Amino acid sequence: MLSSKLLRFRDPQLAAIWEKVRHGERLSKDDGLALYATHDVIGLGRMANEVSRAKSGDSVYFVLNQKFEPTNICVLSCKFCDFAVKKGAPEAYEQSIEEMLSMLNPNIREVHITMGLHPDWEWQYYVDMVRRIKENFPLIDVKAFTAVEIDFFAKKFKKTHEEVLSELKAVGLKTMPGGGAEVFSERVRKLIFNQKIGAKTWFEVHRKAHRLGIQSNVTMLYGHVETIEERIEHMMKVRDVQDETGGFLTFIPLAFQPGDTGIKTRNNFTSAIDDLKTIAISRLMLDNVPHIKAYWVMLTAEVAAVALNFGADDMDGTVGYERIAHDAGATSPMQLQKEKIISIIHEAGKIPVERDVWYNPLHIYTAEGTTVVSKMPYLNSVPFYAEFEPSSGDVKVAPLVPHVFGEFAKEGKVDAGPMSLMDYAEQQDEFDMLDYGVAVNGKAYSVLLYSHYEWSKLSGKRIGITGETSTSVNLLRVLLEKKYGVKDVKFERLHLTSSQNDYTHFDAVLLIGDEALRRHKLGGLGTFLNVYDLAEEWHAWKKMPFVFAVWAVRKTVAGDHREAIVEALEHSLAFTKGKEVELGRDHAKRLGMTREELGTYISAFTYTLGSAEKEAIDTFLGEVYNIVTM
Amino acid sequence: MLSIIKEKVFANERLTREEGLWLLKNGSLLDLAEMAEHVRYRHNPQAKVTFVIDSNPNYTNVCNIDCIFCAFYRHEGDADAYTYTVDQMIERFKAAEKRGVRTVLLQGGVNPAIPLEYYTELVRRTRAEVPGIHPHFFSTSEIIGMCEVSGLSLPEVLAKLKEAGLNSIPGGGAEVLSDKVKKKISSKKGTSADWLNVMREAHKLGYKTTATMMYGHLETDEDVVEHFDVIRDLQDEYHGFTAFIPWSFKPGNTPLEKIIPSYASSTRYLEMIAFSRIYLDNFQHIQASWFSEGKKTGQMALHFGADDFGGTLEEENVHASANFVHTTTIKEMVDLIRDAGFTPAERTTLYDIVGEYAEGQYPDCVLDTARLDVHINADVIMPTIPAGMQN
Ligand code: SF4
Ligand code: SF4
Repeated sequence: MLSSKLLRFRDPQLAAIWEKVRHGERLSKDDGLALYATHDVIGLGRMANEVSRAKSGDSVYFVLNQKFEPTNICVLSCKFCDFAVKKGAPEAYEQSIEEMLSMLNPNIREVHITMGLHPDWEWQYYVDMVRRIKENFPLIDVKAFTAVEIDFFAKKFKKTHEEVLSELKAVGLKTMPGGGAEVFSERVRKLIFNQKIGAKTWFEVHRKAHRLGIQSNVTMLYGHVETIEERIEHMMKVRDVQDETGGFLTFIPLAFQPGDTGIKTRNNFTSAIDDLKTIAISRLMLDNVPHIKAYWVMLTAEVAAVALNFGADDMDGTVGYERIAHDAGATSPMQLQKEKIISIIHEAGKIPVERDVWYNPLHIYTAEGTTVVSKMPYLNSVPFYAEFEPSSGDVKVAPLVPHVFGEFAKEGKVDAGPMSLMDYAEQQDEFDMLDYGVAVNGKAYSVLLYSHYEWSKLSGKRIGITGETSTSVNLLRVLLEKKYGVKDVKFERLHLTSSQNDYTHFDAVLLIGDEALRRHKLGGLGTFLNVYDLAEEWHAWKKMPFVFAVWAVRKTVAGDHREAIVEALEHSLAFTKGKEVELGRDHAKRLGMTREELGTYISAFTYTLGSAEKEAIDTFLGEVYNIVTM
Repeated sequence: MLSIIKEKVFANERLTREEGLWLLKNGSLLDLAEMAEHVRYRHNPQAKVTFVIDSNPNYTNVCNIDCIFCAFYRHEGDADAYTYTVDQMIERFKAAEKRGVRTVLLQGGVNPAIPLEYYTELVRRTRAEVPGIHPHFFSTSEIIGMCEVSGLSLPEVLAKLKEAGLNSIPGGGAEVLSDKVKKKISSKKGTSADWLNVMREAHKLGYKTTATMMYGHLETDEDVVEHFDVIRDLQDEYHGFTAFIPWSFKPGNTPLEKIIPSYASSTRYLEMIAFSRIYLDNFQHIQASWFSEGKKTGQMALHFGADDFGGTLEEENVHASANFVHTTTIKEMVDLIRDAGFTPAERTTLYDIVGEYAEGQYPDCVLDTARLDVHINADVIMPTIPAGMQN
């Protein structure tokens, strides 16, 4: 179940739909149509906002990115496109790779590249483009080429889609934009996109990309000649493919702007209500897509701002071209743009989180007077958050993996939450510990070492360790050194995004949380023969529980905020007691777990810290300091 | 607290000042909207949105008040200072009448060179010579200016204007009715007591007026609630306010711009619309302003408690002077209302319905009198306009 909240609706039809949504049931086409037909725009928004909060808390993501369109020369001439021209036309332009490199702002994190289908450019040119950006700017991730372009490359250079994609991936392509999807309807395609690839090829390309570990976005261009039914069908097609691959990061509704296309719409722009409805309905229909983007460049900033309360959790961050980006002192347009985006997100009552291409948080911008609580995004944390509704509007929730929480806490940006034990140990002067946390007495199921070797043979080997927390990593070190006497192990941090990890490089791999559970359900990890549950290892050794995290609140948090946090936490724990399985069902389903497995899993954990847990904390920290000082 | 407030609002009970302040500080956008919709449909049960075909000319830009949020005024002797004669104004009104305009919202600077007779004459001749036009003339600052020029008391000036045929006046110039704030942004414009005083005396004489608020500058949430509180109290006395109209300050070519680097987003505006709807339980109409906030924000406001879309502002010199980009045609305005899911209904200044327009129908007037056909600015930096001169 997603929410126990009963919402009030002006349109009684929405009440029935909310019952489905809050019980984690999928919406049908008729539901989608009813949502579009409703006059109860606020009721619709409330539902979408609840769903968005269950997924992303109060966080709204943005990325500093730059857009490149290296050429406007295109072999096609799509009806609605007022960008493309033919070779030799006066407006035609072509950019060299050097030109692009000189225009790149080194402070961005993502470069977005799409372009016309050029009649003469060589395959090597595209490969070099990606490679040289990556070589010159290792911190900037390349998001490039729509399915239309990939398909064009395959045909022109006589390669399969896989070949095109893997060659690009090898030189640094990280993700793909979601353009070229338009509306997945043959009727509409014949009317205005007749030169473009259809839904079938578009999805083919994205499926293949997802299988190769290239995640992507998907757009929907609305507000031209499509029907409401076609919009809903579009969303449902996306939902089906997402069930198969799980590779879509973001759904992006794009409001059509007729410009010079000659396609007539009533007011030359979509209605704000249609915009808000489309955002909200996307959020409600696409239960399996992590993010919905309010792309302000097409939506206008005024609508995008409000969309943040209608189900959108991403605001893009396009900074455009900046030729003179290198003088560090001056306030650059990029800085202004970023401040504007941050202030729009603050005013929407949300938390701005700057992200990378995969939505890993890089920075968090906490507004003055706001207290941010970290939400551990794992299945075993459901009891903390199922009913976590602080009574103060200034206490916000941001989903952060434990390690990132620890880092943001050090910067003073996040103030409370279940803190990884090691992070708490490091910051105990600034934080108070509450009597709550995450502990197990025996198996934890989700802290697993996958290994080619037995414990005793791991000496001198390379172990890939999760980047999500340092507690499990230290537990591993303690077990290796103190329990098994194994030394000289080489640890290497894994990427936070699992699709970016190649586990075959390692002799053993430590995974935690949902990723560990998911892999376990998939029948293990690659060819690793041995699987060790670290909590079980600890328990067998010390005859003690193991504490992964403790709830901590920064000492300087205002009294009323602290009270609101404790109250919300205690309420949620009391509410979920006995209902954990029902509440965690949707989350578990995403990991492929059955009801029974979920029951066993959840019942392994203790959320209140008693004297046994506190003793276990001291014992563990003692062992850690012991190896550090040895 | 939220559940207590919700219970009260849904039981149609009045919120206290403390509850109001809590709600403004802690209520989420959608919590506010949910309650605002309830109150909106209590006062106006039909899914109808009204608008008025009006014109917004100015008779003078000479002003001695120097408000720091105003980009419009000039001093006597400035090269681009102007003051029109009564004849000139009547000519313009006649032209407007021909185009189908029903109301003229007339305001100007506070120009000490203009005698009281100018104003009474203007009203009298409008009534006599341009009967199709309803005069909605003179802000509180101008009326106080008339008292100073003529040496008459406020009730006397108001009575003279009334006798000439004026029966409604615009509610601009209220900004935020907190002396703390007023002193900072318009030190010479009088205290909040002055604004309220003009309104009270006018209501006593049977005038109808609007009430406004310009936020987004130096005010706190406490100031905002104080503002709502005083106008709610005054409304209890005479029920002379037809509508409440909030708008946000947009730093344009004004001295205040230097103090306020950025300004409120559409979220804050919708919160203000919703909050005013909830708190001002004795106001029947809340007006959304497509004009100062943008067309799309105007549309959204209709689902956050507003039931009126304001005027078509068929002509407006004030804003044209400041690179103003929000213009519309009457046809577009009707479509904007319709596309937001409501039936467009044309009204008079006093909120009597003149006609409702089904899909494909439009008012019987010159539909596309708009000047510039600039459509909404898609840039993140929203357009800047001075807000001090609206109704
Ligand atoms: S393929 Fe893309 S760039 Fe080329 S005409 Fe079509 S939309 Fe325009
Ligand atoms: S707002 Fe009115 S009173 Fe103030 S300076 Fe401008 S014209 Fe004069």
